[in-house]
Amino acid sequence: MAASIAGVFTDDLKNAVETSKVLVVGAGGIGCEILKNLVLSGFKDIEIIDLDTIDVSNLNRQFLFQKQHVGKSKAVVARESALSFNPDVKIVANHDSIIKPDYSVNYFKQFRMVLNALDNRAARNHVNRMCLAADIPLIESGTAGYDGQVELIKKGMTKCYECEPKAAQKTFPGCTIRNTPSEPIHCIVWGKHLFNQLFGEYDADNDVSPDTEDPEAAGAAGESALKTKANEQGDIERVTTRQWAQQSGYDSAKLFHKLFHDDIKYLLSMHNLWEKRRKPTPLKMNELPDAVAGSSKDNSAEGLKDQRPWSIVECGQIFSRSLQSLKTKFEDLQSKNKDDHLVWDKDDKDAMDFVAACANIRAYIFGIPQKTRFDIKSMAGNIIPAIATTNAIIAGLVVLNAFNILQNRLESCHSVYCRLRPNHRGQLIVPERGLNPPNEKCYVCRDSPQIAVSVDVNKLTVKELEERVLKSLLNMVQPDAVKDSTGDVVISSEEGEMEGTYHKSLAEMGILDGTVLSVDDFVQNYSLQVIINHREAEHNKPDIEIVGDQSKCQPKAEEEKSNGGSGDNAEEEDDLMLLDEVEETPSAKAERKRKQDSAEESPVSKKLRTSDVIVL
Amino acid sequence: MVELNSNELTDAEAEQYDRQIRLWGLDSQKRLRSSRVLIIGLKGLGAEVAKNITLAGVKSVTLLDDGAASQDDICSQFLVPRDQIGKNRAEASLARTQNLNPMVNVTAETCAVADHPDEYFHAFEAICATKCPTDQLLRLDKICREKSIKFFCGDVFGFFGFMFADLQTHEFAEEITEFKPTATEEPAAKRLKAEPVKTTVKRSSTFVPLQNALDVDWTAEPYSKKLKKSESSYFLMKILLKFRSENMRDPSPGTRSADMEELNRLKNEVLTKMSIPLEKVPDNLLSMVFAEIGPVCAIVGGVLSQEIIKALSQHEAPHNNMFFFNPERNLGHVECLGA
Ligand SMILES: [Zn+2]
Repeated sequence: MAASIAGVFTDDLKNAVETSKVLVVGAGGIGCEILKNLVLSGFKDIEIIDLDTIDVSNLNRQFLFQKQHVGKSKAVVARESALSFNPDVKIVANHDSIIKPDYSVNYFKQFRMVLNALDNRAARNHVNRMCLAADIPLIESGTAGYDGQVELIKKGMTKCYECEPKAAQKTFPGCTIRNTPSEPIHCIVWGKHLFNQLFGEYDADNDVSPDTEDPEAAGAAGESALKTKANEQGDIERVTTRQWAQQSGYDSAKLFHKLFHDDIKYLLSMHNLWEKRRKPTPLKMNELPDAVAGSSKDNSAEGLKDQRPWSIVECGQIFSRSLQSLKTKFEDLQSKNKDDHLVWDKDDKDAMDFVAACANIRAYIFGIPQKTRFDIKSMAGNIIPAIATTNAIIAGLVVLNAFNILQNRLESCHSVYCRLRPNHRGQLIVPERGLNPPNEKCYVCRDSPQIAVSVDVNKLTVKELEERVLKSLLNMVQPDAVKDSTGDVVISSEEGEMEGTYHKSLAEMGILDGTVLSVDDFVQNYSLQVIINHREAEHNKPDIEIVGDQSKCQPKAEEEKSNGGSGDNAEEEDDLMLLDEVEETPSAKAERKRKQDSAEESPVSKKLRTSDVIVL
Repeated sequence: MVELNSNELTDAEAEQYDRQIRLWGLDSQKRLRSSRVLIIGLKGLGAEVAKNITLAGVKSVTLLDDGAASQDDICSQFLVPRDQIGKNRAEASLARTQNLNPMVNVTAETCAVADHPDEYFHAFEAICATKCPTDQLLRLDKICREKSIKFFCGDVFGFFGFMFADLQTHEFAEEITEFKPTATEEPAAKRLKAEPVKTTVKRSSTFVPLQNALDVDWTAEPYSKKLKKSESSYFLMKILLKFRSENMRDPSPGTRSADMEELNRLKNEVLTKMSIPLEKVPDNLLSMVFAEIGPVCAIVGGVLSQEIIKALSQHEAPHNNMFFFNPERNLGHVECLGA
């Protein structure tokens, strides 16, 4: 090991390497490479944590794992493999989530530094807060394909991970998904929603049936459509898709007819929608076209199995087959626990087949080009390509920056980017020229932070405030909230303490426009003032929105040359920096319930200027 | 150059290589799986390249090294098990390399480069030489030129590293993104949106022999103009290659102070001969070139491996023709030298 051989490192570095305890969060693509570099460099006290298990698709880059390890804990196997490089190192492996309260601020304080090798924003945000609270240096890193980056996060010295607003998740208006899809992704999102409606966790926001409240369809047309429907079925009472499916025994012919014929006919009756659009074509299961419409595949004989386009007839067959398998699995689960449900997983064959078939049938109906199962998997699973070489380069840079920290040269830990092509100065691995100072308005790392949130105080419940605002959006783990003016407890992290008020609306709790809540997260040692702005809920608009700091958080980019015209159309390819090494596994989902359709696992985009400074 | 193999990927390959096929495409993966790669020198950098190339899924990897694994190798050589120190490096690295990917045919070769006839090297699509003396590098490049074999070489000295590629005339497909205005279909938003459209274009690039890159005259144009701005890496490389030729080894931590003196002497000699001011290579850089630092092997090995993958798959523009990693700033830059 480098540190054990005299004459390789300076004495200072040698001693620091041999005596410093470090934490590696994540044992995926970057984590494996970091662990190797740490062991080879002579670190003797390492802790690694990852809640994931090994998948076959990891093996092209996560080189500490082999085929026989598939299904096992990443952290545990990574430890075993790394120990073979040097059996004398102490490596503690935790097959666990770093977000758990067990990993407290005091836990973090035992480390000289933390090296992040994560694949999702929620965990990154959390570790960011823990390292700020523990006041220890954090090296953050991420890759996507050929691109990667490394940056130091140190309280009061640099930007924290949450200093700049990250690109919002890509979402689509409900009526586009339900009524007027125009792109393949709309059909794929619809397919995933359908899966959840039938087998997954119920979510009223993810309805798949025609949306009669579509403002575009408003007026007489919508009403007449509603009447037609009432007449046809003799019953205006609307039932959920799940209920409907259960009543029909998940019969594939009946479901097909409802989803791809009756619902489409119903949409057609909303005339306003089709004045400027191509009308959808209702389909009957026994009259499906054998053609592969909308796709011009001349190479259908070549390619991967998943890259062969399906005809609509085939889609119908795959729809029926996967529906029946999923039904069996679902009923099996429910017989054991009535509240249990399936979780959509791109690596589950039936779940993936079902979404691909549904998406393509719907695309055909709306005259949208169909996609192969291979492409649908990328889009539905938010798969970010990943290769060994980029991970190796980034992990190398992480550990070189760790050396800088050990030599108390934090000011030298400049962020570094790596790209497919050199920049105009011929730089391929590009260090910034200095550290990026913290954003004074950051709602996480500045002193006494504040944030304003727009909600409908008459509709939003206390429970939703906790789950959707504080936990999901603001990434807290165990928040307590009190009204600033009165000190009344609104949300308590003590189990059961507030059960009686959970279903009450904010207004009923006296939380109105302008009310200030003091929110504390004990685990993250994080306090935040949340200012409630009332805004009436509108159809198809997000019902919760972060307004930011009351004084409106402005990224400090004024001194930078603006990105030429800017807007969302001016960015060059090289300006799009992707951050995560994304694993998008079901276990990550279990860790934190998230919406299925949005690109929640998608990498953080950062716009870079052609030179080295981040502009957001 | 490899012709597209008509054999399709197996389901096992499709599963294992899924995340990279989604990046470089199926055709690239097919080209890789019919490529035979020779990796010369199995110290830290060679181990990184062997790892990355084997993981990528080429047809075969041949590990060639005539030396024995030493105690110093453990700084960065993770393919040699501890109990194999003292054994031949290529042979000692074989099992772990093979374990990285059972679908690649990995073999070891213990005979020195100089002892192999030219014909031996004809059996590869790409050759990557590390820890090789300059005369053998020049010989290998010449053989590769005659047979249109993609030639790479590179080294890591301590915290410093570099690589060179001679792909002769290289044809490749490059994905370019253009922003084309498209009208959105939503009646509510009729504004024009510029959307990225990806297209693939065929390009080609011409490389020069290693000799040209090593013989750059910095007193003549165009290099004399660039000298002031250019950083120290090229000159440091010249000094280190000279050290290797004269001492038949690299600077070693065990003989650090003697080697530092020798490096300083060579710095004077090399830079004076090239008419380069001595301050071009600061003394502190000379103190950073001992052994092979693991993280640096990972960086230079990552870039070098990606260049081999790009060349074999004919996908994306290769770096023409040198890459340097300067440890003072964590800066990696590409430079075209000798063209
Ligand atoms: Zn911050």
